[in-house]
Amino acid sequence: MEIFNEQFKKDHLLSRVDARVKLGVSLLVLAMVLSYKGLAFPLLILCVSLAVCVRIKIPLKVFLLRFSEPVFIASVVILLKFLFSGQEAMFSIKISGVIITGHKDGLMDGLQIAGRILGAVSVVAVLGFSTPFTEIMAALSWLKFPKSFIEILMLAYRYIFVLLEDAMVIYNAQKNRLGYSSIRRGLGSFGALTGSLVLKAFENSQNITTAMIQRGYDGNMPMMKHKPFRMSEVIASAAIITAMGIIWKM
Amino acid sequence: MKFQISNFKFQIIFLFISSFFLFLVDNAHAMHISEGILPFNWALFWSVIAVPFVAWGLYKLKKLSAIDLSFKPLVGLMAAVVFIISCMPIPVPTAGTCSHPCGTGISGILVGPAISILITAVALLIQALFLAHGGLTTWGADIVSMGVMGSFAGYLTFKALRSIKINLAVSGFMAGLFADWATYFTTSVELASGIKGDSEFMPLFWKILIAFIPTQLPLGILEGAMTAGMVILLYKKRPDLLVKMRVLKAEEAAI
Repeated sequence: MEIFNEQFKKDHLLSRVDARVKLGVSLLVLAMVLSYKGLAFPLLILCVSLAVCVRIKIPLKVFLLRFSEPVFIASVVILLKFLFSGQEAMFSIKISGVIITGHKDGLMDGLQIAGRILGAVSVVAVLGFSTPFTEIMAALSWLKFPKSFIEILMLAYRYIFVLLEDAMVIYNAQKNRLGYSSIRRGLGSFGALTGSLVLKAFENSQNITTAMIQRGYDGNMPMMKHKPFRMSEVIASAAIITAMGIIWKM
Repeated sequence: MKFQISNFKFQIIFLFISSFFLFLVDNAHAMHISEGILPFNWALFWSVIAVPFVAWGLYKLKKLSAIDLSFKPLVGLMAAVVFIISCMPIPVPTAGTCSHPCGTGISGILVGPAISILITAVALLIQALFLAHGGLTTWGADIVSMGVMGSFAGYLTFKALRSIKINLAVSGFMAGLFADWATYFTTSVELASGIKGDSEFMPLFWKILIAFIPTQLPLGILEGAMTAGMVILLYKKRPDLLVKMRVLKAEEAAI
């Protein structure tokens, strides 16, 4: 959960930009990355995003954690496509009676998918690193996401931390009493841990409802009010999208 | 073609080895399709499939929260529970490393498939935005595999087994098992269709399915045990909740 630490608490250029603008630009760039047939555009987006991450001083550990899984998946995809897909043989070697063939077209396909993964992950990483959760929720409500969905999102986000703390207390207590000393005991302990979390969810929901009703809750939660767009941000984002669109089309 | 037939054994060995390595990454999330893997048309296709299911969940939520004001906070907290469960590393003995359950079997049993799909969609969105597990572009595909298939498989298995008087623990175990395996099967379909390019679908689908086996087969069993443990704990501590959520009939809860 270390990656959950709010990087956006730091004050920098992107943290001051309207979340709706950032979300809109991110979604458009994601659509371009996904629909691009080649490697150049996703790699360009990756480089730009990495430069932004460096500029807004994202700690290296957080950055590596965020990219470790996508990089590994991208590597496996390249290998899968290179060895098992394609018609145009690049090389063929025989090891202990097994012929291993690498395919040129398979490699190109794999690289394209890997580029898409890294490009798309970097865009969402910049969005996540530069925007507080509540602002993303407000931006989603502006995009006409159903109100109930956003309310559930906000409740879930709030109580992840509470329940996570409970889960850690239960887990440490189980561990201290050798609850995970064998596979059989571990399974039982994990089941009990999950059950306890569900029980806490039920109990907390009653208490939360009572507290919310006392504060005037009538089944609907108030949302953040949208400020008017800043013209400079709209013009800058339109220019970025236009430039990206031209490169994408080339 | 010569390669594919004469080296079938090599393919199997490679897929097993690559899947072991895949799960050596500390926080590998087997069930989540990574951001950007699917091309635009497939990402859009799975999102269009997911939308009516999420809308169904929202409709159910609106109906139930009009009757009981505490239902919305409960769904929010259940989404937090599913989020935590699907982030928890649990040991997979055959792979010698850790993987993660999906938790949709549990939510499917407790709150039904409609609300469970909504809960999964919420948990997946938070994971995509802040943890790079899954993604915004693969959100629809992940909702279909984890939310729709996982929740329905868990719910229907549990209901079917309870209807023929199978005990709670076994029903819970099988629900968790099938929820996990249904998710992994659907993920394989989504991945194969998304990355196949000009190749044929079926050979790639089988390769991905085989690559998942070392972790997902035992993980399904672990998830089954976890679900059974959860149901039994609730039955012992708060049977009234199981009755309230229509998991048990009142007469079955009398202990």
